[in-house]
Amino acid sequence: MTTTTLLGELKKRGVKVRRRGERLLLRDLHGALTPELRAAIDAHREELLATLDGAERSTLRSVDSVCPYCGVGCAIRYFVDEAEDRIRYADGRESPVNHERLCVKGRFGFDYTSHPDRLQTPLIRKESAYPKGPLSTEVRGERKRRPGGLVDYDEVLPHFREATWEEALDLAATRLVEIRDRDGSGALAGFGSAKCSNEEAYLFQKLVRAAFGTNNVDHCTRLCHASSVTALLETIGSGAVTNVFGDVQNADVALIAGSNTTGNHPVAATFIKQARKSGRTKLIVVEPRRIQMADHADYFLQIDSGTDVAFYNSWMHVLIEEGLIDEAYIAERTEGFEELKAVVAGYSPEVAAGICGVEPGLIREAARTFGRAERAMIFWGMGISQHTHGTDNSRCLISLALMTGNIGREGTGLHPLRGQNNVQGASDAGVIPMVYPDYQSVADPAVREKFEQAWGVELDAKPGLTVVEIMGAALDGVIRGMYMMGENPFLSDPNVNKVRKALTNLEFLVVQDIFLTETAEFADVILPATTFFEKSGTYTNTDRRVQVGRKALQPPGGARQDWEITCEIGARMGYPMEYDSPEEVFSEFTALAPSYAGLTYDNLGLTGKLWPCPDPSEDGIQVLFGDRFPTASGRGKFVPAEFAPAKELPDEEYPFVLNTGRRLEHWHTGTMTRRSRALHAIRPGPVVDMHPTDLEALGVEDGELVEVASRRGSIVLPAASSDRMLRGAVFIPFHFREAAANLLTIDELDPAGKIPEYKFCAVRVSPAS
Amino acid sequence: MIDLTIDGRAVQVPPGATIWEAARLLGIDLPVLCHDPRLEPVGVCRLCLVEVGEPKLTAACVRGAEDGMEVRTSSERLEVCRRGLVELLLSDYPIDASGRPKTGSDALLALASELGADWPDRRSRSGETGEAPRSRTEPAGGIPAGQGRPLDGTSKVIFVDHQACILCDRCIRGCDDLQVNEVMGRTGKGYQTRIAFDLDAPMGESTCVSCGECEKVCPTGALSLRVWEEPPKDAAGSGNTGWEVL
Repeated sequence: MTTTTLLGELKKRGVKVRRRGERLLLRDLHGALTPELRAAIDAHREELLATLDGAERSTLRSVDSVCPYCGVGCAIRYFVDEAEDRIRYADGRESPVNHERLCVKGRFGFDYTSHPDRLQTPLIRKESAYPKGPLSTEVRGERKRRPGGLVDYDEVLPHFREATWEEALDLAATRLVEIRDRDGSGALAGFGSAKCSNEEAYLFQKLVRAAFGTNNVDHCTRLCHASSVTALLETIGSGAVTNVFGDVQNADVALIAGSNTTGNHPVAATFIKQARKSGRTKLIVVEPRRIQMADHADYFLQIDSGTDVAFYNSWMHVLIEEGLIDEAYIAERTEGFEELKAVVAGYSPEVAAGICGVEPGLIREAARTFGRAERAMIFWGMGISQHTHGTDNSRCLISLALMTGNIGREGTGLHPLRGQNNVQGASDAGVIPMVYPDYQSVADPAVREKFEQAWGVELDAKPGLTVVEIMGAALDGVIRGMYMMGENPFLSDPNVNKVRKALTNLEFLVVQDIFLTETAEFADVILPATTFFEKSGTYTNTDRRVQVGRKALQPPGGARQDWEITCEIGARMGYPMEYDSPEEVFSEFTALAPSYAGLTYDNLGLTGKLWPCPDPSEDGIQVLFGDRFPTASGRGKFVPAEFAPAKELPDEEYPFVLNTGRRLEHWHTGTMTRRSRALHAIRPGPVVDMHPTDLEALGVEDGELVEVASRRGSIVLPAASSDRMLRGAVFIPFHFREAAANLLTIDELDPAGKIPEYKFCAVRVSPAS
Repeated sequence: MIDLTIDGRAVQVPPGATIWEAARLLGIDLPVLCHDPRLEPVGVCRLCLVEVGEPKLTAACVRGAEDGMEVRTSSERLEVCRRGLVELLLSDYPIDASGRPKTGSDALLALASELGADWPDRRSRSGETGEAPRSRTEPAGGIPAGQGRPLDGTSKVIFVDHQACILCDRCIRGCDDLQVNEVMGRTGKGYQTRIAFDLDAPMGESTCVSCGECEKVCPTGALSLRVWEEPPKDAAGSGNTGWEVL
């Protein structure tokens, strides 16, 4: 039987058949097969057998790129079916970052890029859709959200009309110019994205600074490690990691503080677990949830949320008391130790135990293990940074490393694990309101002059507003117009109800994205952009490794490259930015950013390079600050911190503490991962994790719906019983629109880092009828 | 450093290096199913057999290089042994495991075709012998096919065909030693020995985190990728499309 006859026979019997290359895809086979057909199918398979593997592989184009998800930045080879313009497989490549390993998102989460929901044409809000407000009836509270909800296209799209690129770009530029000329530059702001490349980030902040004329440009780094970076800049003069995560194999002790590493940096976690398993490295995990890392730990200290300062102060108290500090390092390399000593003197393990809920004996033992290590590395995540005292938390960890001399050598160092694939790069490229590229202060006249010369315009000397401040200013009517590239504050920012009012209040909003996001509902103009897979650019991972992401697919329909869109808006605002390629943008950026000096697409090659890279024939510098710190005095500075409770403590009315974060299978606001078949299939919806005893007290069974309410909003979602939680604590991931955790979170900010307190607010939990 | 010759070519390796690693330095790819350079060698598939001037053949992936060693990587004797080994592995290899989508390639079948190996299921399916293809559920030829070596389609991303597994333990080492997820191990005895997730739970109900390392390192069709043909139109839709891939 020929293949064609076979197909005919199958179709006659109601079997759905598709051909994909030489391969057949069959559905509804059940009961339709006669022995003859089965044999014909087998024969077809036989025929393929000899050639299938080699032939199929040879028809696929392989593209050496990196992963679009987290800050680990795994090197990936994508296998692309060019005829269908689809990625078929992903495979880990050999690289110093991941040594061929991948996690579920990197290996299976690429198919969102081919989702039919992709935006393909510029859209302009129809006259009938004014005055502005949310377009989904569900967001307006008119109907209940059906489960599994992304933005309902059928409901939102009719409020927009398709437009040409010319019309959409002209409208965007005209309106932004109008607002700028009428209300001043300070009435405009831009949100860049840590998902975009270094080149796109650089151009974005250049557009806002040079064409908008304001420093009101920020991105989600504000919501992740702003406090860590603030503390690092203040104490050791540099906001990036001092050593790569892979060097954990040379550490005697690894401290993991406030990081659910296996969920959020899964591949980095494999190296930490492997170091522990080798017997070389002792692992200390400090976390309010008994996360998977805790299963591998030598010491697991389950502290109460928000008590980090008291906890680490007591460690330092023990280290000083027992002489487990590096006197020589303190004398030669640091300053301010006496002030720190005076503060931590008040934090004996007994005092700390009363605050953190951990046995004083265990605090002592873990502190000693850390203090006795010849080499120790400290990893931290959002559990440290996303607090109103996030900067203080980071200061404590830095002091801990300084007093034990654990910076500047192999197997030592500070490593705040960066979240987004390019949050390091977007920060390096200057999508931060206080600094130009490479952390050069906008307030420094000499620096400003350098950038004024490079960009050929006068620049604003005033540092701009941060993410949450911009939303506040929009609500107050101070910010009138915004340009958002790939950010979705409607789900990602704290206190979403307030964000919604702020977005509604904007006079003009341009949203540039790949899907219709919750935020796009408030847009006047929506510009269809490209995904990671449809463009080339460089991305800087958590290790400071700059890697090239290479184009694998064609953009769908009329979608355009982000960097081109930014340039087009600039030109129409009277500030032309002309480049032939991202590579040309990269060289302009590296010329202005000393840390990136010497890097080119050519020498980045397949595995990228670490910045700084003084000798481009080498891999770049792995361990920083062996001799001195880039501070005025060359010394690292101890900045002591006193414990202060979180802003909203539980009380009788709201007795639980809410902690928010991510799940292994999902990414941020879910626009990508919820459109990935595998990831969605594994984890289709939200749950709230609670201790079984708490659930029992509420009379709720595992899997039943509960209402979680804070002073700012309430959501309904299924409860999941988990003995990994502390009593009195609840955990909700923030990916899921139908139960948006950020309706509950508080928009209080850390005074120094301006980061919101995502990790702590008071909530009430009750059975949902 | 250790000096040795492989197929008459001199090579120098550091102490502790294996013959397999030394051969690799010379660009000689010894056939191998149970080994991957990222994993500790275990020497169970024996396909990397070489002659080192001893009466017995030795597995290059686990045998350390020795000073003055003279290694032969190909000979009539070696080829007969390797083909025999592959044919034994294929003696109960289910034909439907071939051609399943994989990140890597099906190294067992590639080797079979390279060595000109033949196996019963291939012959019967192609009609050469006139025998009926072996059933997955009925015992045949003294081998309890399918008995205790089932299919497992519970994971959303990886399909497990225990019958196609050659127990090389690459997946177990990938899971436990590389990714350190420590989900996989072995269970069962004798012919029913098989890889297992947690305490022999179905893969989709185990603590597996779907990193895919097991599938990547698997050299046969035992662990393959489930194909996701279309992205979900609505996130509320169910995960499995129900398409069977041929």
